Amino acid sequence: MPLLEVKDLNIHYHVQGGILKAVEGISFSLEKGRSLGFVGESGCGKTTLGMALMRLLPSNGFISDGQIIFDGEDIRKKNEEEMRKVRWQKISMIFQAAMNALNPVQRVGNQIVEAITTHSPLLKKDEAFKMVKNLFQLVGIPGDRIKDYPHQYSGGMKQRAVIAMALACKPKLIIADEPTTALDVIVQDQILQEIKGLQEEFQISIIFISHDISVVANVSHEIGIMYAGELVEYGNTEEVFESPRHPYTKALLSSYPTLNGEKNMLTPIPGETPNLMNPQTGCRFFDRCPNAISSCKINPAEWVTISPTHKVLCYQCGRDCGI
Amino acid sequence: MVNNSEAILKLHYIFKKYKTRGTFFGPQSKDVIALNSISLKILKGEIFGLVGESGSGKTTVGRLIVKLEKPEKGEIYLDGQEILSLRGDQLKGFRRRVQMIFQDPYQSLNPQLSVLDAVSEPLIIHKIGNNHTIEEITRKTISSVGLSPPDDFINRYPHQLSGGQRQRVAIARAMILKPEIVVADEPTSMLDASISAQIFNILLQMREASNITFLFITHSLAAARYLCDRIAVIYKGNLMEIGPAEEILHNPKHPYTQALIDALPKLDLSSSKKYYNSLRKEERIVKENAGCPFFSRCNVSDETKCGQNIPPMKELGKSHSAACFYA
Repeated sequence: MPLLEVKDLNIHYHVQGGILKAVEGISFSLEKGRSLGFVGESGCGKTTLGMALMRLLPSNGFISDGQIIFDGEDIRKKNEEEMRKVRWQKISMIFQAAMNALNPVQRVGNQIVEAITTHSPLLKKDEAFKMVKNLFQLVGIPGDRIKDYPHQYSGGMKQRAVIAMALACKPKLIIADEPTTALDVIVQDQILQEIKGLQEEFQISIIFISHDISVVANVSHEIGIMYAGELVEYGNTEEVFESPRHPYTKALLSSYPTLNGEKNMLTPIPGETPNLMNPQTGCRFFDRCPNAISSCKINPAEWVTISPTHKVLCYQCGRDCGI
Repeated sequence: MVNNSEAILKLHYIFKKYKTRGTFFGPQSKDVIALNSISLKILKGEIFGLVGESGSGKTTVGRLIVKLEKPEKGEIYLDGQEILSLRGDQLKGFRRRVQMIFQDPYQSLNPQLSVLDAVSEPLIIHKIGNNHTIEEITRKTISSVGLSPPDDFINRYPHQLSGGQRQRVAIARAMILKPEIVVADEPTSMLDASISAQIFNILLQMREASNITFLFITHSLAAARYLCDRIAVIYKGNLMEIGPAEEILHNPKHPYTQALIDALPKLDLSSSKKYYNSLRKEERIVKENAGCPFFSRCNVSDETKCGQNIPPMKELGKSHSAACFYA
């Protein structure tokens, strides 16, 4: 049984002038000890998806349909009290701009001790402190910095502290939303290696959320490409990168400048992302798709299985490949 | 491409420091050296990339060139003319020749100005054209940055535009005076990949069409490779390496450049191994660094040589130089 199974998830927001369909019909599953990366551009619903998995949507957002089965239990059916026990203890999160997630007037060590003792009230404070010391060692912060305040830390160290906090209650699943976006490349690389190492050591499942396809490519076993609230391609990372099938995935890959190989002209994706207040019935990528035919506009795209570990939401792609 | 190797802009031993403000708890103010003796030549018609991490001083270089800041020491020459002493009309003339595109199009545009007003404002300030020609030039410039037909955009306000469209407006505003040099400070770091590729291609077209010289400031080596003819790598206010873009990326000589390239997440998954290994596992604890700025993190460094002396720029041929004793 997979650790996390999401079926047909729909997430909507009440906004001025109607309902914004931020996430539509997303299904995926995640096994223990595996990592899954969601990639997409701003507004594609990737952060909303991550928040919904922890039931932390803002007050105007709600899950309108679908199931989230975590560890055999339906997350949607839990009440707030039960949810509190899931959060941090079973599912924890590394937030976007984590440097702002720390309380500036409290010592970093104390903040993590607090997280631990809140969730295991029987634990003595000095035992919790010992745990924090071990955690800091794990994420590469020198032990003597435990009593410092956040402003005494560098950006990379704050990020490490937040990772330590996410690990504190030994969760089964970590949702990392843009964990390295604000960091310089060298530090980013160190943090990603750190997370990867910890994941292998403790067999934690991780969901990475990022706009940077190359970051996700290097840390995830599986990858999901999101566009305008939908998952459009999903599969084993190597397969998706070696033979991307969805026109959006292809376009996204060819709009990134590369370091090696031929210096090709970048081909930007023409146009803008669709308005999610009132999306068209057909494929959401229709307006920007180079291969679209008229029926794509009317009929919703369908999932096509390329291989047991690779599928794509495109009616055309499947047919082109003769599958 | 660069036809002649004439330098349009020269920076001579630029030194810039900032004072940190003392806080309530610690009232002493400190000097932070933002740029330490930077010398550069930017050639006419080239796209010159300045690559560095946050806090490296790359933005300061850009701000000095457009005269938003003043250096403590050093000189800047535009076409052989010293610019730091410019005043009055001369300064106005200078501003017409040198323009800047800022990082954040959400902050660099006045929310109360329509696209037409924002883009035509420089013409009015510099008293170019009459009412009729101003609108015509503005329309042309707006469509040249890919906002076409311009009639769809001229009456819109920034909040009615997407991030990519805003940045195009900011570019149009910089381009309308037909400047000779444009400083583009991370023009795409706020934008999505597909949109930033659009912006890159617009900059390339502009250069192609009117031979503008660009100083492209970025943290991304991949973006610099795509756009630039030459790249300079800057670290803690010091120039580390400078050379043709492909040379810097495929034959980097400075351990810092090598570490940057190693750290970049690669799309090509087969080549994700570390190649240079120039970064120390454990950072050296250095109290007061009198030597190479990268000394504490460098794997190839020598305790006495690199820790005590600042390595000078060394010519490595093919207009490639690096500030490293071991390059």
